Amino acid sequence: MISVKNIVKTYGKKDSLFKALSNVSFSIPEGSTVAIVGKSGSGKSTLMHIMSGLDHPDSGAVMIGDQELHKLKGRKMDKFRSTEMSFIFQAFFVEANQTCYQNVSLPLEIAEEGQRKIRIEDALGQVGLKDKIDAKAGNLSGGQKQRLAIARAIVNKPKLIFADEPTGNLDSSTGEMIIKLLFKLNRLNKNTLIVVTHDNELADRCQYRITLKDGKVVHFAENKKVSK
Amino acid sequence: MKIFDVSQRSARNLKQAKARTLLTAMAIGVGAFALTMTLAASNGAQSYVNRLISNNFDPTELLVAKDETIFGRGDNNKPQEYDASFGSISSASGAPIQVKQVTEQDVNKILKYPLVEQVREGVILNVQYVTRPGQKKYIANIQDYSPARNPEILAGSIPKPINNTSLLLPEAYVSALGFKDPQSAIGKELTIAIRKSLSSQIVETGTAPRNLQDAEVIGDKSTVLVPFKVVAVLKSEPAQPGTELSLQISTQAAKNLNDIATAGTSQYRQYTRVNVKVKDGEDKANLLKVQEQLSKDGFVSQSVEETQQFLTQIINVLKTIVVAFGLIAIIASVFGVVNTMYISVIQRTREIGLMKALGMRRKDVSRLFRFEAAWIGFLGGAIGSGLAVVLGTLLNPWITNKLDFGTQKLLIFKANQIAILIVLLVLVAIFAGLLPARKAAKLDPIEALRTE
Repeated sequence: MISVKNIVKTYGKKDSLFKALSNVSFSIPEGSTVAIVGKSGSGKSTLMHIMSGLDHPDSGAVMIGDQELHKLKGRKMDKFRSTEMSFIFQAFFVEANQTCYQNVSLPLEIAEEGQRKIRIEDALGQVGLKDKIDAKAGNLSGGQKQRLAIARAIVNKPKLIFADEPTGNLDSSTGEMIIKLLFKLNRLNKNTLIVVTHDNELADRCQYRITLKDGKVVHFAENKKVSK
Repeated sequence: MKIFDVSQRSARNLKQAKARTLLTAMAIGVGAFALTMTLAASNGAQSYVNRLISNNFDPTELLVAKDETIFGRGDNNKPQEYDASFGSISSASGAPIQVKQVTEQDVNKILKYPLVEQVREGVILNVQYVTRPGQKKYIANIQDYSPARNPEILAGSIPKPINNTSLLLPEAYVSALGFKDPQSAIGKELTIAIRKSLSSQIVETGTAPRNLQDAEVIGDKSTVLVPFKVVAVLKSEPAQPGTELSLQISTQAAKNLNDIATAGTSQYRQYTRVNVKVKDGEDKANLLKVQEQLSKDGFVSQSVEETQQFLTQIINVLKTIVVAFGLIAIIASVFGVVNTMYISVIQRTREIGLMKALGMRRKDVSRLFRFEAAWIGFLGGAIGSGLAVVLGTLLNPWITNKLDFGTQKLLIFKANQIAILIVLLVLVAIFAGLLPARKAAKLDPIEALRTE
């Protein structure tokens, strides 16, 4: 279970104080798909940053299994992130001058994990880019770049994948293909997929939908139509 | 992150910005080039000095004089009190300077020192001419043969000890004196003509010649002809400068000629310097004991080691100047590395954000950039030193020829020195990369990921 308990996050001081998150709480089972939706400035990204340990809450806690995330400091937090989490971003963030192999290798290098060749080939195979293993990332199309980013996200078999507007930079047909791929891999690898999105269509395909408004959870719903 | 992965990733990053990396490395390369050349030239000069010392000096001997000027330590800019032993020598500029000389009494005194084995007077004198029957007369100078010398022999051999009628002939005189080759000169007789001192001529003739031409007129009576037999022909040796046209004979024979040239003058049996052989002189303590005793008796002395240090001192001064220029170039290049690394951090802010989001530790982010700086340092060092070695190796024969160094190379490259230099440059580059690396390590991943 992943539990978010009474998270409060403010920015600024005194007169310019801005409450980004206000007593945000919810729980989701591990292995599920979750959409965090809301307008710009609603606190979606802040919540994702806190849930991934990139940012610290003023108060409250994030529990991933039995582990209270923000009790991990320094090296332990880095280690936890490198082995248990991964990210997919709207802007792909792939290294254009490096090969697909080198891009996908990054999380394994950071986590100091072995059997890289097999794992990278497997990850690239899962996203349909095995034949591009030695191609420069810069020569790939937008959809291929995002698939490469997904391969990078799944290569170290994380428990949690955060996807921040994963289809935001793609045309609708490529976006649809990426969505299908993300859900397929979620079912296959049984990791928790947390998607931050404006895209209602994408949100509708997730098992849980958390709607934020002005830093508060205004709606938390389980989509019973989506089968696990 | 493992060191190997960091190193590989940093090398790949540098490859992406080839021109920038190369230009920054070249700045370090200029310093590396200058330092490699300086080290090589200094090795060459040091090797030349060592050869000079081993070919001319016996380490168990001390050079002893009465005047510090002989060892370049005297002050000739103030009036000096008269001493009967003053004699004239030529300064480096050619101007005559007066120095106190070692007398026969001094030699006898030194010989009584318990640790002194032998005293060999240093004799160098210009003779009137050298010739042989049917050949032209040539001007020449005579030097006493030092057993410490290790000349290259073209023909014949040097007897030990060398007797008083033997002569070692420089190769330059072989054809001049009508020999077809060095071998044909061996065993042949040469005549050394030496002019008697004017004082002794006055005593003998009762007439004072008004000038040198008058002395010539005196003819046979003014000149003594001394026969010598050639026992060896010596190759001109760059490590024995000043001996190219010196006919070498035994110390006793040289002293005899010197006596003829100086009889009746204040220079009679006076020597600018003498060589004092110390018993068990390999033991530095014995040399020091004799030096102390010499100093108490008013002599100045210099061991072979001190002579070597004196010569090396000049090389070191020149080396320091060139090294200083090399270091300035390297200091300037440090700013280039800092600049390049800062640009790299700014350009790769989002990549740094991603790596930190994926759990890369601050230490590893910093290490990644320090490695990049290290690679730049390595590249600069390798390019600069490599160019220096290639250029130096190509130019060495030409420089050696121009400087008339014989078989001695001016530029001697040593792999261990170059390796140490490159390691030092890598460390300098790492130092230059510290601030940019720190900036990268401290980047907030959220801010970094938001960067456009």
